Amino acid sequence: MSGLIETLLWGVANGCIYILLATGLNIIFGVMKLVNFAHGQLLMIGAYVAFVATTALGLNAYLSILVAMAAMAVIGVALERLTFRRVLGTDKLNEIFVSLGLIYVFENAAVLLWGNKWKQIPNPLQGEGLVIGETLLGYDRLVAILIVAAILIALFILLKKTKIGLAMRATSQRSETSMLMGVNIEKVYVFTFALGAALAGAAGALYGILLPFEPGIGALPTIKAFAIIMLGGLGSIPGAVVGGLLYGIAETLAVYFLGGIWQDAIAFALLIIVLVIKPTGLFGEKGE
Amino acid sequence: MQKKLLAIVVIAIVAVAAVAVVWQLTQTPSPEARSIKIGLVACYDKAEGQDMDRAAKLAVQEINDAGGVWVKEWNTKVDIDLVIVDTEDDSTGKAVGPVTRAVLEDKVDLLIGGYTSSGTLADQVVAIDNRVPYIITGASSSLVTRRGPQGNYGGLPAGDPLRINDAEGMSYMFHYCTTTADYSKTVVKFFAETMKPLLDSTYEFGSSRNLRLAILYRDDAFGKGVLADSKAVIASENLPIDVVVERSYPATATNFQTDLTVVKDAHPDAVYVVDFIAGTAEIIKQGQRDVGLDTVYIAVECCEDPQFYTLLGEYGTGQLLESKFAPYAGPPFYLSTVDTYVTDYQAKYNTLPGMMGADTYDAFYIAKAAIEAAGTVDKAAVRDAIESISIDQMLIITETGKIEFSTGTNYHEIAPITFVEQLVWNEAAGECRAAIVYPNTAPGIDPLKQADFVLPAGYEPGS
Repeated sequence: MSGLIETLLWGVANGCIYILLATGLNIIFGVMKLVNFAHGQLLMIGAYVAFVATTALGLNAYLSILVAMAAMAVIGVALERLTFRRVLGTDKLNEIFVSLGLIYVFENAAVLLWGNKWKQIPNPLQGEGLVIGETLLGYDRLVAILIVAAILIALFILLKKTKIGLAMRATSQRSETSMLMGVNIEKVYVFTFALGAALAGAAGALYGILLPFEPGIGALPTIKAFAIIMLGGLGSIPGAVVGGLLYGIAETLAVYFLGGIWQDAIAFALLIIVLVIKPTGLFGEKGE
Repeated sequence: MQKKLLAIVVIAIVAVAAVAVVWQLTQTPSPEARSIKIGLVACYDKAEGQDMDRAAKLAVQEINDAGGVWVKEWNTKVDIDLVIVDTEDDSTGKAVGPVTRAVLEDKVDLLIGGYTSSGTLADQVVAIDNRVPYIITGASSSLVTRRGPQGNYGGLPAGDPLRINDAEGMSYMFHYCTTTADYSKTVVKFFAETMKPLLDSTYEFGSSRNLRLAILYRDDAFGKGVLADSKAVIASENLPIDVVVERSYPATATNFQTDLTVVKDAHPDAVYVVDFIAGTAEIIKQGQRDVGLDTVYIAVECCEDPQFYTLLGEYGTGQLLESKFAPYAGPPFYLSTVDTYVTDYQAKYNTLPGMMGADTYDAFYIAKAAIEAAGTVDKAAVRDAIESISIDQMLIITETGKIEFSTGTNYHEIAPITFVEQLVWNEAAGECRAAIVYPNTAPGIDPLKQADFVLPAGYEPGS
């Protein structure tokens, strides 16, 4: 029983990382209609940025999340302006191949800069936890959950209570009408991509705090993030939150009950079942 | 009289000149003489492959500096030319191409190396088809030499795609490495002979209580091989060990917490971790740090590498490593050859060597001895020479003290001695160092054991 409780906590913590990644991907897709297959590589770069901030600059691991978000926002701006803006609105294949090319650029750059050995961000809560009977509830996992909750609240406020949030929502619904209403679409796109990249950076920093990472870690999370937004419903942020949690819990329970090799199979089976029953995903019809 | 003397002098001069000419002719290197091309099959993406590369370069430099390899057919000594065969991560998809290039385009005389069993089983087919001698120094699966008729197909069922029917081609394969069976035997016997008595006396367990062992392994040929061999040895030797839980995970996994939680729920006395460097270090760290599984972890010999000690840090304290080469257990070392190798390697590369490189280093000297014995680089002759080689053991300890390849159903294998080391935190080095704790002796090495095995601080036995 204690093992099951620990496993559920791992599932929620892993799910929180997925939530951040999928939410960023969803925002970019929702507003820009852009499919970015290199989104997982932004997570990977975010993890390295936080690692450098922690080890080279001596910053606290949790403060390094902010550094990773800021750095990834800047990288996001550069990416949007230098690559995606050039192909946005042209053939969809162009966007896809640009993002596929970026995967290799990011991965090779990471190997060049940091090598290909596994790294982990040292954090002061590592190994500390609440022991209840035989159950160890790691503080780092509990803190990760709280941090993701805080980021999501901030995101909610940004989207619902600010002018740029309103512009993003308007653009996501009808970009041409928004433009006619005076919304600067280009600025909205830049901000959206930067925001999505910053969320990926936060996901990367949390990933690096909880788990070891290397330049190749981005591929699978990207696929999972796509699966999550399909599970939750394309363009739906509540869908990404619920989908991320479901996905994280489903894969850890699969490992617990069936073994590690079932981790991805069970989680993707869950996606197929949901899509067969409700093709728009869990929250698809109420998408923002 | 003077004429006679003159004639004798002339004849003598002519005779000396003739002898000189003949001698000169016999000493002239054949115009066919060239350097010997040896391909090093290594996964340069990984620390193990980089260690193999360094070891190979050290051996080649030593051999070439000493004049090279004597090839009787060419009447001269020639250098070894190292051909890099980079299999990247050694996955089956990436291993075959580079080996094909080395065999068909670079036209190597011989191959040395290999890393994962799956990668080697795939790339060795090129060498088998093209009759190139291949001294396999990685790949712990015995199938690399037993998958043909000589090895009774390694027990593979009829129709299994891994079976090779080409007996002639298989005769070019040699396995200079421990197999999963070799080190599984050492590990489970250590648990039965050393750890169980210590647990019984420390915790007053009855002798009828078996040691509770958990096996956590990669879901690949290597992991499954170790699991099967370990269970087979426990059963065949009736060892007092219960495998209370066995868990596999994908080879790409980095998150082991859930698997470790299941292992913790099974309350084992020890955990046998079957993975390569990064995975094993992560499991040992995550087990202690994240899951609170304070037990004895034992890693397998491919983890004998500086990167493993660095990654483990203090989490390695008190933990175990099965190996056949112990560069962290000295100086002084258990063999003078190990002393020399470690010193030379450190001087050249400013780091300690790993285990994968040790096999590779030895293999270059095996190749040299075989070519000199064959007197030619003809591949069939070199194969025959390797098959009948008998030279003193070098870095890897063998049962006979000699490097010799078997010819029975355990086809073209050596008989290595493996041992168990316990890691101890070394404040000055800022990482762990090792001491051999099992067995007590090895042929020609008495004692081999350097310290008694002790339970790690904070150790909790299984229920």
